[in-house]
Amino acid sequence: MTIAARRSIRTRLTLWYVSVLALLLLTYAVIVFAFQYVTLTKQIFHDEVQDIATVEGLLYFDSHGDLQLRQDYYSRPQSHLLIDRMMEVRDLSGVVLYRSSTLRGSPLGGPIQPHEGDTSFNERILRLADGRHVFVISHVHGMNGRTLIIRLGYSLVPLRDRMWQFLIMLLIALPIALALAAFAGQAIAKRALKPLEEMTVRAEGISANNLHDRLAVANPTDELGNLAAVFNHLLQRLEQAFQQLHRFTADAAHELRTPLASLRTVGEVSIGTERTAEEYREAISSILEETEVLSKTIDSLLLLARAEVTQTGSNIQSFPIGVLLSEVLNLVAVLIEERQITVIREGDALGASIVRGDRGLLRVAVLNVIHNAVKFSPNNSIIRVAFERPALAPVIRLTIEDHGPGFSAGEHDRVFERFYRGSAEPVGSQNGTGLGLSITKLVVERMGGIVWFDKDFTAGARCTIELPAQQSTER
Amino acid sequence: MVQARPKILIVEDDNKLSTALVSGIEGAGYDVSAASSAEEGFFLVHRLQPDLLLLDLTLPHRNGLDILQQIRKEGIDVRVLILTSHNTVEDRVAGLKTGADDYLGKPFSFPELLARIEALLRRILPPTPPQRISVGDLELDTKARIASRDSQKLELTAREFDLLLYLVENSGRTVSREMLARDIWQETSRYTPIDNVIDVQMARLRKKIDDPFPIKLLQTIRGIGFTLKEPQT
Repeated sequence: MTIAARRSIRTRLTLWYVSVLALLLLTYAVIVFAFQYVTLTKQIFHDEVQDIATVEGLLYFDSHGDLQLRQDYYSRPQSHLLIDRMMEVRDLSGVVLYRSSTLRGSPLGGPIQPHEGDTSFNERILRLADGRHVFVISHVHGMNGRTLIIRLGYSLVPLRDRMWQFLIMLLIALPIALALAAFAGQAIAKRALKPLEEMTVRAEGISANNLHDRLAVANPTDELGNLAAVFNHLLQRLEQAFQQLHRFTADAAHELRTPLASLRTVGEVSIGTERTAEEYREAISSILEETEVLSKTIDSLLLLARAEVTQTGSNIQSFPIGVLLSEVLNLVAVLIEERQITVIREGDALGASIVRGDRGLLRVAVLNVIHNAVKFSPNNSIIRVAFERPALAPVIRLTIEDHGPGFSAGEHDRVFERFYRGSAEPVGSQNGTGLGLSITKLVVERMGGIVWFDKDFTAGARCTIELPAQQSTER
Repeated sequence: MVQARPKILIVEDDNKLSTALVSGIEGAGYDVSAASSAEEGFFLVHRLQPDLLLLDLTLPHRNGLDILQQIRKEGIDVRVLILTSHNTVEDRVAGLKTGADDYLGKPFSFPELLARIEALLRRILPPTPPQRISVGDLELDTKARIASRDSQKLELTAREFDLLLYLVENSGRTVSREMLARDIWQETSRYTPIDNVIDVQMARLRKKIDDPFPIKLLQTIRGIGFTLKEPQT
């Protein structure tokens, strides 16, 4: 079994197939053999019964009173299993009246049994003194006023020879049949597994460079076709992920190149000619600022990478979303105050709803949206921050609405793309990394939620974050 | 000065960074040596017996954590500050578990590095700040949380007071935005866009402590951060 386990499926299938077949054939052979033996034995019995009737007609007492068998009449049964008739006739006292020459003087059975040959033929197998096995029947026969017991038997040697031949034949035929079956099984298994082999070869050839390749699906409804379809689907998703990664890498390289270019230019220009200490200080400050931008971009990229894999991470916890929102608002409170923005909070009671995810990441996600709202809000404007719970849905919605420039048509979805920067200029502060909202989107989606900007809201920007949530246990 | 200057050994394979660190840390008044490989670093740890080791983790041939392990196994008494670009929480935990005293991710701000070095060299826990500290005519009562300048009480919010206290405690040194984000705002994530929160807060603080007075104490160092000190006369 351990060897079979290590073999290929094809070999294992064949082995199983042959084993089962061998068992079946063996059982079949035993049954046939037994059946044949019983049938032939019955046949002999019948023939012997007939033969006894024949013999009874041929027995006579001669002039001396000895019992004789008439020899001028062909009286053997028509069966090549019965060759030499052995016969013994006794009277009731057990005196042997006739004994055929084929017995070579040895008795056919012992003393007379009570009721022998009377009610039945008492068929039995005896072993003669010379070792021959004989199938014997007895019959009581009345003749010339005397009661005789005729014992008649035939040697079993022909039958046993025949059974022996039959057995040898079976023993020869069985391995041949099994070998043929194994051969056929092997061929069938090979044929059945051929699509799998083709798939393996094809799949082996697929790498990052030709992810667009697909497995051939011969019959989409059978098991292997199904497997191929599933595999192709996997390849398709892989290909998409790969393309996305590729695009992202290209974008990231581009984004990193921009601050690098200004770093280089500022450095080259300031070293080119003699300058005052003040000018050098200015150049170095500018370089430091650019490195800051570079660091931020790289940190954001790492954060994105972290968000990508955070779905089963160990940082997952359940927490009320309201507290998180308050934290975020508190963090940017000084900006809000500075710009004299009024924050209107609605549905705060719903803030007790429990959401589940990486709290740190969600905090960044919410902060990005609120920070954006503050960044683009004109001074003295209003930002509305509201919790809502749509009827019949186990979700919580956080809507953040500002009265800034909003988006132009077509921008509502694009703002979530990585490195996309909207056309609107923020009020009085530097530009971000262009990754903030894509981080928000990724984090929210990884938590099973959705985030979108309302296309119908034209007075500014209205962002809605919808997250799966449990009703608070306090209410 | 009777006391010897603290000895610092830098193990860093990037030549540029190493040179800049040596020059900068020396400028801050320490005795600095540098090694560019793990083997050399280990040799110098034995020979120079530095007080502090600045250890890069990604070194040629041997990992920085290896040396750290060996140093700790031999029971050498040296403070270790790890500098590395492997910045995840797991990396940090691995470094601290191996026996590092602190961990700073690249790219770091130089003022922050100096602040960490100083904190590590203090060896004992920093003493509780005295009740009254001052810079020039700016005075802080840390218990009553009252700040005054030229004997006039300054009206500060709690956060503004924390910020001012931090600047006063680090008076004369530059404080980076990262340090403020972590120590005052308790922002652990590096990616939290609060730089302009800090800037606005700083502008408000400046309005209160500097604007009404002729001598300006709070200065912005472009590209680095802020410093609070008496201007050189």
